[in-house]
Amino acid sequence: MLLVSSKLANEKVAIDTSSPEGTARIRVVFDKGKPVTIEPASTILFMGGG
Amino acid sequence: MKRKQSWRLMFAASSLLLLVCAGQVASKQTPKKEARLNSEEQKVINYLVADWGEDYSVTSVDIAMAALKTKPSDETRFRIGSHIKAHPELHEIIRRWGWVTIVLTPDEKLIARTLINAEREGKPQPTVVEIAKAVGVTEAQVDNGLTMLERYEILQRATTKGAGYKVVPRYIKWEPRLDFIFHKVSLDSGRQFNTN
Repeated sequence: MLLVSSKLANEKVAIDTSSPEGTARIRVVFDKGKPVTIEPASTILFMGGG
Repeated sequence: MKRKQSWRLMFAASSLLLLVCAGQVASKQTPKKEARLNSEEQKVINYLVADWGEDYSVTSVDIAMAALKTKPSDETRFRIGSHIKAHPELHEIIRRWGWVTIVLTPDEKLIARTLINAEREGKPQPTVVEIAKAVGVTEAQVDNGLTMLERYEILQRATTKGAGYKVVPRYIKWEPRLDFIFHKVSLDSGRQFNTN
């Protein structure tokens, strides 16, 4: 998140990760620091830092 | 005279026995001889050492191999991963995040997590079919993943009803919810790396 909002703030960034409690895959795409794709829809995205 | 000879024979036999025992102890204590990496494999190590720490990178072997267009091969990946496992002095990132984070693919981490979570929660071991469904891969991919996890001594073969493996105890007690994690970052430029 720090990278997405700083060094990579002008880029399109895809992050592939997973739920830490299970095996569900999560994909979030940011364009210029803003989330444009969040899969699955039930994903809760915390963006701290004000 | 005969008595002296028999004492000599007994001494020789007991010396031989001691030598055999000493040899067995030495072979158990000596780590398996590590095969030298070839030049292509060493390039992957060099790439990782240069990449780790840049942009919080904890880049894994599979991503480095893809970046260098190394022919995809589980055997090559295992040889590189084993080198990293044996050499934490290569980089602080290995010591901070652990070799497991670096050498396994996301699929292998999820396969491991499926088995670990079942054991932690006291559930029956999942079958290959159940693991494939949970992770979203084919049964053949699960088989390959289980083999790799066994080679890294994260799993052991077991006569259970599930996939036929059990988790090595230290990975059950490892950091719940912080273990076997991955965050793969892909940029439009084509650069890929992992962060944690």
